[in-house]
Amino acid sequence: MGPGVRRVLLGVLSALVLLAVAAALLALVPTRTRVIAATVEGDSATIERGRYLAMASDCTACHTAPNGPAFAGGLPIASPIGVIFSTNITPDRETGIGAYSLADFDRAVRHGIAPRNITLYPAMPYPSYAHLTDADVMALYAYFIHDVSPVRARNRRDEIPWPLSMRWPLTIWRKTFAPNPDAVAFDAARYRDPIVARGAYLVQGPGHCGSCHTPRAFTLQEEALDESGKSYLGGGQVIDGWLAVNLRGNPADGLGGWSSEQIITTLRSARDPVHAVIGDAMSDVVVHSTQYLNDADLLAVASYLKTLPPDAHPASSFAADPATARALAAGEEAGRGAQLYDDNCAACHHTNGRGATRALPEIAGNSSVLAADPTSIIHLILQGSQLPGTAAAPSPLGMPGFGWRLSDQEVAELGTFIRQSWGNHAPAINPEQVHQLRQTLAR
Amino acid sequence: MSEPKADSTENATHPLSRRSLVKGLALVPLAAVGLPGCSAAASDTSESADTPGERYTPTFFKAEEWAFIVAACDRLIPHDEHGPGAVELGVPEFIDRDMQTPYASGDIWYMQGPFVEAPPELGYQGRLTLRDILRVGLGAADAHCRRQFDGKTFAALEPAQQEAVLKSAESGELQLEGISSKVFFAELLAEVRNGYFSDPVHGGNKGMGSWKMIGYPGMRADYTDWVEVRDKPYPLPPVDLAGRRG
Amino acid sequence: MAVMQPKVDAVIVGMGWTGAIMAKELTDAGLRVVALERGPDRDTQPDFAYPKVVDELEGSVYRKFLQSLSQETLTIRHKIGDTAVPYRQIGSFKPGTGVGGAGSHWSGCHFRGLPEDLKLRSHVEQRYGRRFIPPEMTIQDFPVTYEDLEPHFDHFEHVCGTSGKAGVLNGVRQEGGNPFEGSRQRDYPLPPNRNYLGAEWFYKAAREAGYHAYPIPASNASGPYVNPYGCQMGPCNFCGFCSDYGCLNYAKASPNVCILPVLRLRKDFVLRTNAQVVRVNLDRARTRATGVTYLDAQGREVEQPADLVLLCAFSLYNVHLMLLSGIGKPYDPVANTGTVGRNYSYQGKSAVEMFFGEDVQANGFIGIGGGGTTMDDLNGKQLDNGKAGFVGGGIIWARQPGAGPVRGIAVPPGTPGWGSAWKRAIKESFRHSFYYEVQGACMSYRSHYLDLDPTYKDAFGRPLLRMTFDWHENEIKASQFLTGKALDMCKTLKPKAMSGEGWKTGSHYNVTIYQSTHTCGGAVMGDDPRTSALNRYLQSWDVPNVFAPGANAFPQNNGYNPTGIVGALTYWAAKAIREQYLKTPGALVHT
Repeated sequence: MGPGVRRVLLGVLSALVLLAVAAALLALVPTRTRVIAATVEGDSATIERGRYLAMASDCTACHTAPNGPAFAGGLPIASPIGVIFSTNITPDRETGIGAYSLADFDRAVRHGIAPRNITLYPAMPYPSYAHLTDADVMALYAYFIHDVSPVRARNRRDEIPWPLSMRWPLTIWRKTFAPNPDAVAFDAARYRDPIVARGAYLVQGPGHCGSCHTPRAFTLQEEALDESGKSYLGGGQVIDGWLAVNLRGNPADGLGGWSSEQIITTLRSARDPVHAVIGDAMSDVVVHSTQYLNDADLLAVASYLKTLPPDAHPASSFAADPATARALAAGEEAGRGAQLYDDNCAACHHTNGRGATRALPEIAGNSSVLAADPTSIIHLILQGSQLPGTAAAPSPLGMPGFGWRLSDQEVAELGTFIRQSWGNHAPAINPEQVHQLRQTLAR
Repeated sequence: MSEPKADSTENATHPLSRRSLVKGLALVPLAAVGLPGCSAAASDTSESADTPGERYTPTFFKAEEWAFIVAACDRLIPHDEHGPGAVELGVPEFIDRDMQTPYASGDIWYMQGPFVEAPPELGYQGRLTLRDILRVGLGAADAHCRRQFDGKTFAALEPAQQEAVLKSAESGELQLEGISSKVFFAELLAEVRNGYFSDPVHGGNKGMGSWKMIGYPGMRADYTDWVEVRDKPYPLPPVDLAGRRG
Repeated sequence: MAVMQPKVDAVIVGMGWTGAIMAKELTDAGLRVVALERGPDRDTQPDFAYPKVVDELEGSVYRKFLQSLSQETLTIRHKIGDTAVPYRQIGSFKPGTGVGGAGSHWSGCHFRGLPEDLKLRSHVEQRYGRRFIPPEMTIQDFPVTYEDLEPHFDHFEHVCGTSGKAGVLNGVRQEGGNPFEGSRQRDYPLPPNRNYLGAEWFYKAAREAGYHAYPIPASNASGPYVNPYGCQMGPCNFCGFCSDYGCLNYAKASPNVCILPVLRLRKDFVLRTNAQVVRVNLDRARTRATGVTYLDAQGREVEQPADLVLLCAFSLYNVHLMLLSGIGKPYDPVANTGTVGRNYSYQGKSAVEMFFGEDVQANGFIGIGGGGTTMDDLNGKQLDNGKAGFVGGGIIWARQPGAGPVRGIAVPPGTPGWGSAWKRAIKESFRHSFYYEVQGACMSYRSHYLDLDPTYKDAFGRPLLRMTFDWHENEIKASQFLTGKALDMCKTLKPKAMSGEGWKTGSHYNVTIYQSTHTCGGAVMGDDPRTSALNRYLQSWDVPNVFAPGANAFPQNNGYNPTGIVGALTYWAAKAIREQYLKTPGALVHT
């Protein structure tokens, strides 16, 4: 090895060491957070407000295990690095958060920092909760400390192998990507009217809709945390094999074709006269969270969502076309896709693709059918889906799955048919996509 | 990016999921638990109706019994100019398999004694389950044939002789040892019809042959567009449980 | 040693229509309710999901949605003195089981009752004289009027999404409806279903005979619908799998679709399935029920104490439980004493098949359980019984619940049952034939009754219910008369062949042929505790904290299907419980 090469190598090595030291410093230097108050009164109005906010924030989605006591944790959450178990956030002093001060609570919820400066996995959506106001954090604290029943349940150890279990990369991630609450503090003046502003707050903060509905970069942070980013709520993440849909103003595959009323009804009951929520992921959100939002807040959320502009180049479009319905009603079947539709789908969704208003969802012009990513539609054809019972609409209407009798080729042909009939224009589905999803679902 | 993703690793398609792993396990297709004769790769649009009766090996009926069943099927629903016969549609296979279902073992019948004679209007009062009615009945019928036709069993008779035996069983005229020929015949005919007409998944009606013959649309369950059509026949071919078209 | 459950306000036996209605009403009133259903839980998903549900072998041969007779059935004999033998195979009637009960597998015909049919004895005596009623005929008035029940008929129709056309709206006749019906306060919640070919031609045939045809009120939704409880129904797509099957797209009204979704969200409602109630427990004086005993899925005895016991099992099993538990005095037909078991009745049925040429697209596979066309010109007060020579009446209707080859293909008379000739016949008739049916009223008689069998037992060691019943000359005459009229109607349609006849004189009740599941009576409602087991609120005269809503309460059966009256009576009884009984527990009627 010549002297020149040795010098270059030394230079590279020193740079790496410097980087490592910088990273370590970044990781190890504790984050200073603003203390919002010493403590909170446990008066009934504040607690009630906290209860409402806890539903709006859907804490139960992760912190209550199926059939388990409320907020006692223990729900396993799949992550790219292993299984994480949610924690006990009941006010039990030993095993829960009973010993938390308000400052501890705030650091966890808005900053993502647990006691002893441990960074929380972003399964906890603190980048969204960072938008919560001080007053709302205090109300949540009052509810959890003074009203929730304490449950004795030790937190389970996460099943993450070393070296992935090292926390300091997570600290670097947090410092790089999670906003400081003060930087994203709610400012109503940014929005054109107070209803839209309230909606923005609910969607960006407690609702944390972006955790699922905003695409994530390869470094796993949401690409945008509010409407200033053009991919905000643009859909694309797949949760449990279901696509989180595009909530922007795209006329075909977003909310562009939805009225405010339809958005409100869907958040309240997981369905509206022509749409239905597909898959458990969002159904659970309706059951535990959005069905309890009051009328004013639902209107606010819908109003805010309707302000989001469409993507510049949407993948899909819709222009109603009676040709498909006419052909099918006369018994004419242009290809295998049409035959498969007649044999599997027409019984409920009918030859005109309109289903039945207030009972069976429309396929023609349906934003989920037209989604760029066909994951949900493939999943639906394979396994069906069932609506939950909600207070506003108790019927657990469901669709059976057909994967047991359709090959990958057939699912692809059928899915393509529905995405390209009655005026629907969305990209075709190929059998490989079906095959992939089947594999994943079988796991 | 408008193309659908076709990622090579599952992690890239499934970034951080907040939801339960346990829930993921519940996503196994419900009917992956053995639906006989079905596979996810079924994509044939038709099946030729050859003679599967010869290819199937019975697991309930013994060889002689099987011969009776095949011959009886051939007489009761023969192949002719109107359409396929029971044998070519696999009805013997259906019956053999059906005999092994809970139904044939009296699952939905009240089988407690005492068993007494009663007027025919009060229904079957025997202690034999369906599988035994057929087994005992065809055994007794064969015994009768051997006596009547110089040692020949039913299967060895000429078609005209077989028809005569069946007719006399149908009317109850035929005296059988230990079982009413009328009951035996009625149950046998019912089974043959069940096998001829039920969904191919149960073993008979291969290729939906009977449905095509009579114009039955099969497992369609939607005639919304056809309720009020008076001037033309219903045009779609039958579809079966496996999703194949006839 | 029985396991003891904590006491609740009300225990409901059976989760069919009457059980679901009672559960909804009582939880509305704030009661804590436990419902015990002997069968499994059932719902559209996954039990009635398309396409597996439309498998004829599973549904109509294996009868997977019906009650299996292996554990529980009844014995039947034609007359006193005969030996009753078990109903071993499903034939004449089809009890249900599981959540939804027969309400899941019924067809959907949803009639009210004619005002005069609810006061049958008075009507017949007034018009034809007392002597017109044979001495052994024990028909009685219902202790409620059509006006009493009207709001409940109306409400139940709205819960079910019944699709029909009002005939008399607030006293005013309406075009297209039944001109002979009792007046109603508002129209049906949905318009009538469309007509399949046979239903359309019925109007033609009716016109020729001078009859007033109207659409059968069908609880098979003609369009998407949301009922008063917020439960959703889809539109019927005429799949032809109503009878014996659960509905695949939420179109047929059932407890599962119309009421259970709300109940399942209620904390005060607890549903236990695979829970076989074996008896109602009474206190020592036998004037008060303390609760029920049931067998859990493992077969352990469990006691469920409650302040109120609602017997909401299938009509026959309500009577069975009353007899087994000692609620009321068993009826003795010879001594003419006792009330529990008396006045059992059924329903008359016969059909006329018509066969047409290839140009007639009858398409028997297109089916709707409750839809079709009928007329009341031979029913209720329209019929001159004096001339016709029998008590009661009936309807003639065009109905096509859906035919499939496994369920049976009609062939012209004289066609052999097998062979080439049979093949040719089924090919010709499957798509080109349909039928009209007669459904006749059935009176009650002193010697037609229910009691406990002396010999046969169920799987739980209890004596089976014994039914003593046959066709009386009155019903045979009715069958011959009505079927004659049906044949006349069918002739006007000029089929190339036709078959059908009324019952032959001297023929007997045949349990092997399906007729209907309209088994009525046995614990009838009345004003007189000597001739009824229940008072006008369906409350037991003998044990006031037991109510037994169901068709068991009918003193006799009329020409319509019973479900409309059954639902209305249950809402009527629930109202009495809520407004009177809960405030002042005890007998609601004093004689």
